[in-house]
Amino acid sequence: MSLKRYIIRRLAEMAIIFWIIQTVLFFLFHLAPGDPLSRMVDPGMTHEEEMILTEQLGLREPVGTQYLYFLGNFFRGRFGISFHYGRPVARIIAQRLPNTILLFTTAVILSALAGTWLGKLISWRKENRTDKIITVGALVCHTLFLPWIAMLMLWFGAFKLGWFPVTGMISPELWILPQATAPEKALDIAWHMILPMATLFLIHFGSYLLIMRSSMLETLTEDYIFTARAKGLPENVIRDRHAAPNARLPVVTSVGLSLAFSINGGALTETVFSWPGIGRELVFAVSNNDYPLALGCFLLIAAVVLAANLVVDVLYGYLDPRIRY
Amino acid sequence: MKNTEIAMTRNRPYWRQALDENWRRLRRNPTGRSGLILLLIFALMAASSFIPPLISPIYNPMHGVDPHISHTTGPSLRHWLGTDFIGRDIFSQLLAGARVAFMVGITAAFMSVVLGVAIGILAGYAGGWADTVLMRLADMIMVMPTLLVVLMAAALFGQLSIWTIVAMIALFRWPGVSRVIRARILSLKQRPFIEAARIAGASHLRIMTRHLLPNVLPLALLYMTFRVTSAIIIEAALAFLGFGDPTTVSWGMMLQWVWKTGHMFQAPYWLLPPGICISLLTLSFYMLARAMDEILDPRLRRRGES
Amino acid sequence: MKKRSASTTGTRSKRRFCWQQRAACVILAMLITAALAAGCRKVEGRLLRVGLASEPKTLNVWLASDASSRAVLRLVYHCLYERDPETLAFVPWLAESLPVYDPAGKTYTIRLRQARWSDGRPLTSADVAFTVRLIKEFKTPGCSRWKYVLRVETPDPHTVVFRLKKNFATFLSRTLQISILPAHKWKSVANAARHAQKPLAALMRFKNEAPVSSGPFVVRQWRKGAYVYLTRNPYFFGKDKTIAGRRLGPSIDGVLFKFYGTTDVAMLALRKGEMDMYWHHIQPGYMSVLQKNPHIRIVNSPKSAIYFMGFNTRRPPFDDVALRKAVEVLVDKQFIVKRLLQGRGSEMWSVIPEGNKRWYNPGLPRPGQGLNRKQRIKLAFRILSSAGYSWKKPPLDATGRITSRPGELLTPDAKPMAPFTILTPPADYDPARAISGTMIQEWLREIGMPAMARPMEFGALIQQVKVRRNFDAFILGYGRLPLDPDYLRSFFHSRNDRPRGWNISGYHNPEFDRLATAAQREMDPEKRRRLVFAMQAIIAADVPYLPLYLPTLNEAVRTDRFTGWVPMLDGIGNRWSFCLLKAAKGGK
Repeated sequence: MSLKRYIIRRLAEMAIIFWIIQTVLFFLFHLAPGDPLSRMVDPGMTHEEEMILTEQLGLREPVGTQYLYFLGNFFRGRFGISFHYGRPVARIIAQRLPNTILLFTTAVILSALAGTWLGKLISWRKENRTDKIITVGALVCHTLFLPWIAMLMLWFGAFKLGWFPVTGMISPELWILPQATAPEKALDIAWHMILPMATLFLIHFGSYLLIMRSSMLETLTEDYIFTARAKGLPENVIRDRHAAPNARLPVVTSVGLSLAFSINGGALTETVFSWPGIGRELVFAVSNNDYPLALGCFLLIAAVVLAANLVVDVLYGYLDPRIRY
Repeated sequence: MKNTEIAMTRNRPYWRQALDENWRRLRRNPTGRSGLILLLIFALMAASSFIPPLISPIYNPMHGVDPHISHTTGPSLRHWLGTDFIGRDIFSQLLAGARVAFMVGITAAFMSVVLGVAIGILAGYAGGWADTVLMRLADMIMVMPTLLVVLMAAALFGQLSIWTIVAMIALFRWPGVSRVIRARILSLKQRPFIEAARIAGASHLRIMTRHLLPNVLPLALLYMTFRVTSAIIIEAALAFLGFGDPTTVSWGMMLQWVWKTGHMFQAPYWLLPPGICISLLTLSFYMLARAMDEILDPRLRRRGES
Repeated sequence: MKKRSASTTGTRSKRRFCWQQRAACVILAMLITAALAAGCRKVEGRLLRVGLASEPKTLNVWLASDASSRAVLRLVYHCLYERDPETLAFVPWLAESLPVYDPAGKTYTIRLRQARWSDGRPLTSADVAFTVRLIKEFKTPGCSRWKYVLRVETPDPHTVVFRLKKNFATFLSRTLQISILPAHKWKSVANAARHAQKPLAALMRFKNEAPVSSGPFVVRQWRKGAYVYLTRNPYFFGKDKTIAGRRLGPSIDGVLFKFYGTTDVAMLALRKGEMDMYWHHIQPGYMSVLQKNPHIRIVNSPKSAIYFMGFNTRRPPFDDVALRKAVEVLVDKQFIVKRLLQGRGSEMWSVIPEGNKRWYNPGLPRPGQGLNRKQRIKLAFRILSSAGYSWKKPPLDATGRITSRPGELLTPDAKPMAPFTILTPPADYDPARAISGTMIQEWLREIGMPAMARPMEFGALIQQVKVRRNFDAFILGYGRLPLDPDYLRSFFHSRNDRPRGWNISGYHNPEFDRLATAAQREMDPEKRRRLVFAMQAIIAADVPYLPLYLPTLNEAVRTDRFTGWVPMLDGIGNRWSFCLLKAAKGGK
């Protein structure tokens, strides 16, 4: 099958899967008890006023009608209006998404680079003490409970040392100044990023290292490594030029998928660090019964994961010429 | 009929033997051994979680309030790890948390693996449209981030009991298992003993349960161990975000109390234990799984022994 | 995908890979050092930094139902009348004087001050009339308070006349408590919304990013997810004016609202000096740490709130008033206040908080006050047994001594009482309420009641008690009760007993309904007060709600940069404070 046809088939599949997810979620949201009004506990609001409000928010129309509205709007690029913010969901997501992308791409790429590098080195010293220590260390890092380690980071970095900010993404005191320059602002964001990034780095680094290590070990049994050895090439050339590029493939997959799923773990990291990203927004929307926003965030996440799966598969073909579709 | 029974009796001791053999290897494997030891400690903790409430009602992890303490206090003789913000004993909460973690981890993993194996065998053995439908379903569920799905369900339906959470985790974690099992079944299907069983007149159900299932059991066990880790983490994360079952004391819940009541900076003796426990318990299952992986994958084993 | 097993060699050079590694390391190191240097920034000028517990959801008044949005809007849109911080009596604010009522024509006449909007336009009676008409036309939340207002007239730019349909008492204290909007800004919004399919929804969805302000500050910038920045309004009417004996400012240059997700982080910021005031209640657990800091002052204010246990009077077991009264004496309010609130609060005996002096009835009975556990059990035993309840094994033996484990309680028809649940919010939402639930459960079990406290997620809890109305008892609280006692009518008038109605208990009492309606109509404050007292007495006798406790509001401010916070009912976050704050002497 040619690549083009492969992609088209996958896209069609994705569209169907996406539609099913959308529909299931929509009905889930509308059949569930509880509505955004149950959050507004205001004894000053009378029964009549509450009825008017439910009617105005479109909560009293039949579910079927609402679903058709929803689908129609979706295809016209309208993803609904958040009950909580009273603003279009797309606008809110567009505001939060860059923050998430910034934090997670940086963290994942940095930890992937570091993980592959160290994994490559220690795989060459298999069964040596350094290898064992680092492997166990990576195992521990990999299984650390994310919100807990995030809290420890805050406790240590922001409270004990007092070097890092406790919350948010920028320092308002700087940003309101008219004379604040762009580099200053960039540095300010970087400063706020350090703790959350360190947390994510720690978690991801371990898993990349383990993947790289075992992938290296597997590669080392391949015939071409023996060939290279037989040619009398120096060990580090075999390692870096022959084994590592192929061994890096699983890491690429993992990076792609963890970027996509980062929004998932993002809910935890962003919540603890008050990072104004999409994951925190989703948790917030969900706990406020803000269906349109929660639905929007979730669909975005599903779309990203679906797309990442496709991209990873296609990319695999580019990186490994042995793969044909 | 008789043939199949012979095949069966021959078959059974074989896989049992293999299991014994693997168990011995597991104990020899350093990663596996440390995992097992850690696990044993936690099992002990879970088992002893029934003791503190018997000593005195103030050690009840959920309701027991020390009458003399009404705010968080550090470790003391009376409360080994201190008390939380209303005077409940942190140590007994920690023990109760171990019980909940085991319960959640093992049941969720077991359920998801049973589901995954059943679907994997069915899809692999039946083939055709059943295979296509089941695998597409698996693909669809696989793109759903489990944590977020359960989180949403928890928020939508008010509050989930711990068993609903377990069931939901199981429901969203089977596709990975079933894919692997299906692949294994596809290769097993070509083996002569299946053909022999079929010729001997064994029903499909019989072939699936008596001939295919035993052969994928070690693999299923391996996946179950991995699933335990993820189930524990998901439950803890859910509880941490405030969507857990408010009537159970789990480690995630304890972390949430520290965080939400604002004792993150004030009470390290309260912040540290639950996190350490979650991390170590997941680590022990993960180590066990890795060791099993090494043992079950002959290629790696060969290298490991050379 | 198929794997073709052919040997390939690496494509990327070793040098390039290492270069990437090194670059990454260098960038990281640079980021860390430079960022550390960038931190620790000093604030310039007299900028007040206020911490909020969450980001405001909107600056549109019609959507703002959360505390944070209201906090910001409080500085932007003002009302005609304010309450005096000490006496709580109404003080003319945007109005020039108190309203003049003409009983014959049923009209209120109000004169306005010479005031301007922050864009320099004058604030006139047209703005007031526009706002009222908007409320009535779009039926916004709160519109039912305007039901009895026939129309608004504007004889001249500084006079507004409200013509009522009939007499009603809450005009000044409830109805007039609206923020006046700038007609010249909202007219087009209203016009657009009018043609929308859902007019009110369209109005609520208006993005009011740069509101034109009548208050001391105007919103300069709102960076989503980070801060709201307000600067001084040059046209503020109150600048250097003396109202209620106070010379208004503002003398600060601006207000910066920052958001802190958890109290922990907020308290750290306060101690580090990154904020000057935390506009949120602080739990008692922090007091000791905060008190150690010489630059932090804790301000305790009374709250207009009620924390109570509600009963479902529609069905057994709590349809029986005797049982409710027995529960009342078994609940040790003093214990809750002392232990769960750590002394920072008071016991509640009426559905109107004690701090609301004008309407609070001090003469109500206080059943069970000061009793110990044994006395409580004995009293409850007497109440229950005289109402026909019995036990398999009574909690008191023949000699009157308390038995350790009583048998289960039997209802008057000699059947064992079915187990009932007490719903509470979860412990992380409000520890005090959740733990009181557990305590009450234990107390009720002492006399054989099969009680079971169940924490439940907040939204689900509201849904359960208010919409589905399927419950036995619950513990809830209203954190911001209006000062006008009109809410008693919503809580207990039988007309409000319906899904989503506020009569959650399902309380029906024709006598109460009559009094409530009369109190709403009564224009004579003294007569109305007597009616409200009688209403409180009825509720205290029938116990559909059992008032539990009233926590004190604890707020913290830093004293090194600003002084002059005005303590008031419901805290220092009031309009007076922001108008009267001054830079501290020797402050940075």
